[in-house]
Amino acid sequence: MSAAVSSLYSRRKARNSVMMTLCVVAAGIGLAWLALILGALLWKGFAGLNLAVFTEMTPPPGEAGGLSNAIAGSVAMTVIAVVVGTPVGILAGTYMAEYGRFSKITVVVRFINDILLSAPSIIIGLFIYELMVRPMGHFSALAGAVALAMLVIPVVVRTTEDMLNLVPNALREAGTAIGAPRWIVIRSVAYRAALSGIVTGILLAVARISGETAPLLFTALNNQFWSGNLNAPMASLPVTIFQFALSPYEEWQQLAWTGALIITFTVLGLSIFARSLTGRRI
Amino acid sequence: MKPMLSNEIITADVINAATPKTKIEVKNLNFYYGESKALKDITLSLPERSVTAFIGPSGCGKSTLLRVFNRIYELYPKQRADGEVLLDGENILERSQDLNLLRTKIGMVFQKPTPFPMSIYENIAFGIRLYEKLTKAEMDERVEQALKRAALWTEVKDKLDASGTSLSGGQQQRLCIARTVAVKPEVILLDEPCSALDPLSTARIEELIDELQADYTIVIVTHNMQQAARVSAQTAFMYLGELIEFDKTEKIFTAPSEKRTQDYITGRFG
Repeated sequence: MSAAVSSLYSRRKARNSVMMTLCVVAAGIGLAWLALILGALLWKGFAGLNLAVFTEMTPPPGEAGGLSNAIAGSVAMTVIAVVVGTPVGILAGTYMAEYGRFSKITVVVRFINDILLSAPSIIIGLFIYELMVRPMGHFSALAGAVALAMLVIPVVVRTTEDMLNLVPNALREAGTAIGAPRWIVIRSVAYRAALSGIVTGILLAVARISGETAPLLFTALNNQFWSGNLNAPMASLPVTIFQFALSPYEEWQQLAWTGALIITFTVLGLSIFARSLTGRRI
Repeated sequence: MKPMLSNEIITADVINAATPKTKIEVKNLNFYYGESKALKDITLSLPERSVTAFIGPSGCGKSTLLRVFNRIYELYPKQRADGEVLLDGENILERSQDLNLLRTKIGMVFQKPTPFPMSIYENIAFGIRLYEKLTKAEMDERVEQALKRAALWTEVKDKLDASGTSLSGGQQQRLCIARTVAVKPEVILLDEPCSALDPLSTARIEELIDELQADYTIVIVTHNMQQAARVSAQTAFMYLGELIEFDKTEKIFTAPSEKRTQDYITGRFG
């Protein structure tokens, strides 16, 4: 009896260590790729990282230069996209989690939002191309920002709804029980309890759009020069990387690596910041 | 003429003192969660400035009944009540009843402490600010008063800016009571206020209830029968959505007239 039990037990232990090894190997493979990508980026990108990257404009082939107009364009379009997309996303998420919690519309909106969330970004680019670029007759930074805003909205809707749903109902009841009207309960109690989560959602949306290339190719296109004109094409980091990386010129390729390094570490920084926000509870 | 009139007033006062005034009167109240009926034809009156306890096994409807008094159930669709609940003679179930104003008159403390995600000071000031414009000094005064009333002042007076959630469970619950008292309600509803607390915190809350009944009409739902016996003057025993027996607490726990009450308090079921 005890021999049978011990053989059963040792077989189980053996199986456990086999599975454990497989899991560790799988995790190792996943992390190895990430390490390789980051390593290559650091290796190739760091070499070209200097002050000129941030101060000089994208050069013509064969000359030295920087990425300043692309960086500025990315920042400008990202900021506009967040400013436009965030309020829409937060209000929609608030409706779904608070006012429309029990309504059928919410179910439909959530479903559509999930589709939008996973829609290929090139489709968004084409959509804005048809909606704005063709009628206006030219590419523009504004169209680029709107395309990016379309990507911001579903992320913010989703996180806002999820975070508000995490706020315990007891807290809403407590706010209501003290005589606060619904909008004050939402503003002063629910938002406050969900604040770090909602901010995290916005940061993740920024992280997502800062690397998007496809929607910008069809909308903002690119620009070799400084442009503060929202009604004209504007350079951006991802599109510049796309263009420079495919070019035969060595200076351009170097700038593409450096640009990729800048985007990756910006996104990494944002993600770490977002994590630290959710980790810390109010 | 004049002396006559004042005589009449005195007489009225004497009568009031002898038989306590009814604060809340429930008449033929039914409550529904969608199709299922959770309260069946409840009729009872709660006297002013005293503690009334609702006891009964889980699912008997005692919390549901409490949640009718401030109409908090309105937060959820498909929950509805019919019948009458008179607060000082006025039916609060009327459609025309302003719910926010009703809730300033009838405060509620929940099973789990629910401090708002803000500082201790703001937790108290939040409710006051909704309906009163006070100067900073007046507000400080009111916050202090409320915290003293809830026997929490000495513990928190040096850290009013600390988050309400940083307090212990018992302190959080007293903060919730302070917050409720701060808006000067007439009735305080307590929904199993001690079930998440340790015995020491429970004892403090019970002391507090005892002090508060001088000024407020208190209704407490509890599944702890000793607690009901300790704090209340009247006890209602409910079972499966019905009010089985409502009487002086002493009578309910020593000589109940219903067999089901007897079975419950002696631990034969529930």
